[in-house]
Amino acid sequence: MSERRRAEIEAKRAKLAELRKARADRQREDVERRSTIPVHGSPARQNVDDLVNALVGSPSRSGRTSGDLTPSESMPGTPALSHTIQLAGPSGLSISGRASRQSDLQYDRIPSGGPTARSVSSNSATDNVMEITMTPRAYPDLVDMEQELFELPQKERVIYNKEVQTTAVDEEPSQDWEDEIRRRIMQERELADAEKAREKELEEENVKLDQEIEQEIRELTEEERASIVTAPEFLDFVEQSSKIVQRALNDNYDYIRDYTIGAESGGDDSEGKRVKKVCEFFDEQLGKNRSITDIDWSPKYPELSVASYNKNGSALNEPDGIVAVWNLHLLERPEFVFHSQSDVLTVTFSPFHSNYIFGGTYSGQILLWDTRSKHLPVLKTPLSAAGHTHPVYAMRMVGTQNAHNLITSSSDGTVCSWLVDMLAQPQETLELVHSGHNKTSEVSITTLDFPSNETTTFWVGTEEGTVYQANRYDRAGAKAGLNPHDVYKGHFGPVLGLDFHSSVGPVDFGDLFLTSSVDWTVKLWRAKGLTKPSTTLHHIPPLYSFDEADDYVFDVKWHPSHPASFGTVDGSGKFDLWNLNVDTEVPVVSTTVGTGRGLNKLQWDRKEGRRAALGGSDGHLYIYDIGDMAIPRESEWTDLQKVVAGMVGGGQANGVNGDDSKIVAGR
Amino acid sequence: MSPELEQKLSLMASHRSVLGYLLIARGTHPSIIRHSGVVFEGEQGKRYASVVAKIVESVQTGLDEVRRDDSAPAGSSDESDEVKFLRIRTKRHELMISPDERYLLAVLHDPSAASS
Repeated sequence: MSERRRAEIEAKRAKLAELRKARADRQREDVERRSTIPVHGSPARQNVDDLVNALVGSPSRSGRTSGDLTPSESMPGTPALSHTIQLAGPSGLSISGRASRQSDLQYDRIPSGGPTARSVSSNSATDNVMEITMTPRAYPDLVDMEQELFELPQKERVIYNKEVQTTAVDEEPSQDWEDEIRRRIMQERELADAEKAREKELEEENVKLDQEIEQEIRELTEEERASIVTAPEFLDFVEQSSKIVQRALNDNYDYIRDYTIGAESGGDDSEGKRVKKVCEFFDEQLGKNRSITDIDWSPKYPELSVASYNKNGSALNEPDGIVAVWNLHLLERPEFVFHSQSDVLTVTFSPFHSNYIFGGTYSGQILLWDTRSKHLPVLKTPLSAAGHTHPVYAMRMVGTQNAHNLITSSSDGTVCSWLVDMLAQPQETLELVHSGHNKTSEVSITTLDFPSNETTTFWVGTEEGTVYQANRYDRAGAKAGLNPHDVYKGHFGPVLGLDFHSSVGPVDFGDLFLTSSVDWTVKLWRAKGLTKPSTTLHHIPPLYSFDEADDYVFDVKWHPSHPASFGTVDGSGKFDLWNLNVDTEVPVVSTTVGTGRGLNKLQWDRKEGRRAALGGSDGHLYIYDIGDMAIPRESEWTDLQKVVAGMVGGGQANGVNGDDSKIVAGR
Repeated sequence: MSPELEQKLSLMASHRSVLGYLLIARGTHPSIIRHSGVVFEGEQGKRYASVVAKIVESVQTGLDEVRRDDSAPAGSSDESDEVKFLRIRTKRHELMISPDERYLLAVLHDPSAASS
């Protein structure tokens, strides 16, 4: 058992010696940059010498000289010098027991120090080493050194006598037999005691060595630190781990809470018809002086949302366009940040690829970012005439997993369809022209939407205030391009938002769409069916107009699961939630969001629509929860049918002009 | 240290409930790269550092041992189950440790300060 203990101690000693040596090496390097060698007194050194001797002295106990000295000997000459120190007279030398190559002065002292060798434990080990001492004399490196005063605790030295334990039977004849035996017994007992004492010593040493090893652990020089912090994996590590820690910090639930202990005053629980702010995403550095231009929710991870930002006018060397992915569980900083050379006007997650994010920019380029790579886009469309050359304000992804296209539109009327992996040129380009316009036949598209389940025909809202229908391909009775005959005229200013009903549920309202515009109104329309296209110009009026707003209405979106609800955001910072089954004149809830700066975009979260993301012109992304109002009752659909029928037939005064008799009922 | 790093770390450290953080380089001899907060100053910080490093080591070896006993002796299975995150909740504080192969981030925070 003691063997094992000794073995442990040996190992520890070796380790300690290694550490000391490593530290000494580092110190030596430090020292090489500095100068002067202050001389210090001997008592401190004496401690060291004791210590070193104790270290060196132990091998004789267990006969493992080599084991102890090998680690030191890995650096030739170093142990020699260490031992020379104990032999040399009191003079300025490094405490740590090893000195760097000193000047010849030191070497001269060696022979003189020889006779004064404080043979504290001048055993064979030291002697052997002494011979090696003489060789390193030739080393030319002259180095200045500095001492460090190092107080080490006095090491307890275990000394014991070596003696041969054989019974001296042959020498002393049996007269002293009894004494002999008695003596032997005494000896054995003493030995046993000594053994025990030794055990105890070993233990204490063990503990002490442990502590010293602890002390060794914490040293780290400046240059090591510098080299660590500039390593790229270190940066990655800090990024990752700080994100994880922040997410964990944001989770405020105290899971060891004991509910039996007395309660604090409960929080308010006035739920019901209220819209509550969940959180607000804003990054000081990124979002300052920028506005949010578009928002999207991730189809795969319901807690992720993406927002695109335009240019920061006052910071010219920052990227013009920024796209940030925010996580509801990580409030202080975005999960991902992507850069772009020009303002990003529209952004969307790819519904078929969990890692891709598309963005359309002010320069007309379409960019593709990958969350697995860094800030810059992985794919870009060319800035040539093949793609867009004007700002891309609207973008949609249509199709299925295997056959999908990205449809983008720019403000010069070009609509391009792209394949995701082939952004070098568009699959098809469509110029929407309307010859009926004055001055130019261009149609400046501000917004675009596809009816649900449709991929070949879409509606666009324009700067002139009209909404047109367009086809991607030729079909019987209709040509590819804009349909110039069915014109949805009603707004007096640019149409900023257009949204088709999501048509989930027993009744299909998929032909209803809402538009919002600069003229302070939101209008409800019924899309004309494609089965009977008109051949002459035909103005289609809206079904209804909502005039409640006092400012530009920047966006309108149907609720994804409640058929009669929709939300609007306007320039005075108001977020209105409407429910047509409750009231068609005023919104159900109207909330002022943030500081009253205008809100640019609204996006409901994909599944149940409990949350709405609102993007402000001050760069803040607000997440609001509408709670139970998102849940539709069974009767909502039929109620809405009645309401819409009422709008159609009842001849509302607003938004309907004389031509309403030509409205085609149903689809 | 690059300013981004500084900013990230200070952002994390300035969270309401965080009392301090400790960045340690692992290895045979763990060493402190950076620390912040009163809790991790000086001697106590060093002790925390050694303790944290030992905790992660012992947890990792413990898990390895558990796995090792079950699986066939022909080497360890491909997916080594490394410790990804440790959250030690004591009565007063919570210590969150995020280990990596080479480094370790330990954050001490007071959850009751956060929820109040």
